[in-house]
Amino acid sequence: MPLVSTNRLHKFYGKNHVLRGIKLDVEEGEVVTIVGRSGSGKSTLLRTLNGLESIDDGVIEVDGARLDVDHADGDTLRALRQKIGMVFQQFNLFPHLSVGQNVMLAPQVVKKMTNAEREGIARDMLSRVGLAEKFDAFPDQLSGGQQQRVAIARALAMSPKVLLCDEITSALDPELVNEVLNVVRRLAAEGMTLIMVTHEMRFAREVSDKLVFMHEGRIHETGHPQEMFARPATPEFANFIGSLN
Amino acid sequence: MAYQFDFAFIPDYAGMFAHGLAYTVGLTVAGGAIGIGIGIGGAISRLWNLRPFGNLYRYYVELFRNTPFLVQLFLIFFGLPSLGIKLVEWQAAILAMVLNLGAYSTEIIRAGLQATPPGQIEAAESLALTRWQTFLYVMLRPALRKVWPALSSQVVITMLGSSVCSQISAEELTFVANFIQSRNFRAFETYFFTTAMYFGLALLIRQAMRLIGRHLIVRRPLS
Repeated sequence: MPLVSTNRLHKFYGKNHVLRGIKLDVEEGEVVTIVGRSGSGKSTLLRTLNGLESIDDGVIEVDGARLDVDHADGDTLRALRQKIGMVFQQFNLFPHLSVGQNVMLAPQVVKKMTNAEREGIARDMLSRVGLAEKFDAFPDQLSGGQQQRVAIARALAMSPKVLLCDEITSALDPELVNEVLNVVRRLAAEGMTLIMVTHEMRFAREVSDKLVFMHEGRIHETGHPQEMFARPATPEFANFIGSLN
Repeated sequence: MAYQFDFAFIPDYAGMFAHGLAYTVGLTVAGGAIGIGIGIGGAISRLWNLRPFGNLYRYYVELFRNTPFLVQLFLIFFGLPSLGIKLVEWQAAILAMVLNLGAYSTEIIRAGLQATPPGQIEAAESLALTRWQTFLYVMLRPALRKVWPALSSQVVITMLGSSVCSQISAEELTFVANFIQSRNFRAFETYFFTTAMYFGLALLIRQAMRLIGRHLIVRRPLS
């Protein structure tokens, strides 16, 4: 049984039909990269998976937590979100909290962990992203790359089953991209289930088990990245790869 | 100019001035603390349109921001007894201060909450925080930090406005000044000294608010 599965997902922005029946299965430990042109619905798809965007039809299931149009109340959403971590393009660290507090907040207030438990987890997660020594620093004292690594640690502290990465290197200076990608690379190697939207095609080819090409609100072509890049099956994907170079 | 200044009487009335000053400080502290509390509740009720508070707050805010403080005070002190609610002067004065500041701070704090970047709320949601947890841990402190200077000014304005409470015989600083002046007819000296006390108090309140604000702004551990 897949860890993440969506079926018949539809989403409208007003009259704009942005997701037109998405069926996507992600197995445990799989690394899936969603690519496509701007406006193809890839970010929207990612954001529906943890309920940041509502859906107009369809089902989302993640490790037993289920969300559909009729069952999307606060408790359902929170049950789903406890299974899913998310990292954003703009990091979205809480500026009034130290790095440690950023990571400990959800374990404290959502999981009601004790002081010692949550501090232990926060320190573990921060050392996993190579920032153990920044526990007491504040977000504005960190570089963009470091902030993004803290954001990853913050998501991991809730022990999610799957991590969503929404263009997490797009807001970074080029020289800071690699430190973040290295963290993701390591997570993938450790068997973390990842669903990413990214423009880093080389990286996507390297770490992904599955590539999903979205076009006009549908999954237009999907498969193993090496094969897809070598032999695009649709003219749209061929065109998309062509436009990258 | 034939007028001879004479401030020599002031030490004789030191006790009364001190009483009036303490009364004014008391009104301001109670009005400020409870009023800002009401403002925080009002701001979030308005922002999320919580029923029934969101609408109640809307009418309350409009009512108190569009009527004179003196009339509000009279309505509470002279009007409410007709409905069976009798308040003594200090109670009526505090209630008027609280309601007045509460209305203004509702709007000030709401502006601060509204300025929360959407990404902050999304990050909190994606971590499975509830709406209230998001408000309490993610939105409130940065919002207060943003509007703290405006809120501080409003507290000072409310403190200055408390002089109106002399009209219902609440024994605050202006009431005391009126009383002393009616005894010795040294109007200039009495009100000059009173002016200086208000001025000093306003500076002190700004300073106090700055210190309180620093605790909101300062980087301190949670809980």
